[in-house]
Amino acid sequence: MDLYNKRDAGREQNQSGKRWKFSDLIADPETGKRWEKVRKYFFLRESTYDMTNRCNIRCEGCYYYEGEKQFAKENGDPEAWHTLMEHEKSRGITYVVLAGAEPSLVPELCEVCFGVIPLGAIASNGLRRIPGSVGYKIHISVWGNDETSLRIRGAKGMLHKQIENYKGDERAVFVYTFTSGNIDEVHEVTEFLAKHGCKLTFNIFSAPVGYAGPLRHTSESLMHTRKTLTDLLSAYPESVLFPPYNIVAHTHSHGLHDLYACSYPRMNPSQAIGLGRSFRQYRTDLTWDRDVACCVPDTDCSDCRHYAAGSAVVTARLFRHATDPDEFKSWLDYVDNYLSVWVMGYERGDNLCDHLVAPPGHELFR
Amino acid sequence: MAKDLTNITIRIAEIMINELKLEDVTPETFDPEIDLVDEVGIDSMDLATVALVVQDEYGIRIDEDDYPKLTTVRFIAEYVQERM
Repeated sequence: MDLYNKRDAGREQNQSGKRWKFSDLIADPETGKRWEKVRKYFFLRESTYDMTNRCNIRCEGCYYYEGEKQFAKENGDPEAWHTLMEHEKSRGITYVVLAGAEPSLVPELCEVCFGVIPLGAIASNGLRRIPGSVGYKIHISVWGNDETSLRIRGAKGMLHKQIENYKGDERAVFVYTFTSGNIDEVHEVTEFLAKHGCKLTFNIFSAPVGYAGPLRHTSESLMHTRKTLTDLLSAYPESVLFPPYNIVAHTHSHGLHDLYACSYPRMNPSQAIGLGRSFRQYRTDLTWDRDVACCVPDTDCSDCRHYAAGSAVVTARLFRHATDPDEFKSWLDYVDNYLSVWVMGYERGDNLCDHLVAPPGHELFR
Repeated sequence: MAKDLTNITIRIAEIMINELKLEDVTPETFDPEIDLVDEVGIDSMDLATVALVVQDEYGIRIDEDDYPKLTTVRFIAEYVQERM
């Protein structure tokens, strides 16, 4: 599949000047069917929770060990977590993301959360298997091949251990984070994961505030990542969960906030509706602070291309994408893929748009 | 003018009921003053969906920045009427 050759055709349609009605967009049978499929999940309202202040490894550029949240005192009381989850449910939260520092160290607390709010995901390094009784999606972080993981994360044989723990587990999605230094090794990692039947999606390293280390992306590394992702999508369509529009949104020279206006409280002062109203990011002591609340706190917002952020920020921009068939199909592909990555049992369909489409109001890369 | 606003209000309520699959309420019994976020429980994606259908219906453009103002059926109806 050559995504680039079709690019200009897609842009030409965008620039045709025709004003599309929403009813025209969903009149196309495939588009309409996908719209009805994804809109059933508009009830999802997320918040995120740091489960521990400990981790069994220490990675360069880790979001958790930046800012104040790392100093929160760990609350390991299951009753306190149960009370929190009940409170969250009562204020309308239907989806939880259990994240920093390493939720697999407290499986009993994950169980408590699952018992109250049964939809969610856990971000884990995958070195300790989370019991199957916790029916959340599990996102296993991969930062390169084993050699790179040893160097950046200080863990030996990481990929083998992760696969051993999660091979054949329908909860598992491997999340490969592209840094500026591990782009080419994604081929061997993807081949290895695909060979074991594992599903894979991608994250783009987004620098923590003040980070000036070697993992930070440049325009060149983003373009290289874009080309690489395009190749991977063609080579591993069954294993790779990353449609063409994800490639555009996450490797653009502008970050997600500049492209879509981040809707998380940290960047969104409005508390009227949506994430600005309902989202909270709880520290491991069960406190939260609106001023720093987003899905990856302490990320430099201008550099944010994080996959978790995009899942909410791009999805929230339905209105901007409902202007043109290609833009709307691209948005539907993005949402369909996001649901398959984050919601247990959700099966994604074939991509509706097979080429790269520019974000609303922007060029394809700059 | 008042009749127009009444008609628009009823039609907006109908769109709301159809799109959000609300039960136990009709366009005529839908309280136009009820707070859609606090009392009906609609969220930003629901509101965007309704806004797209309303745009189609009345041939107007709803500014994304105006969403926070559209908190009742009455406000949406007045917004539409001003732009028709």
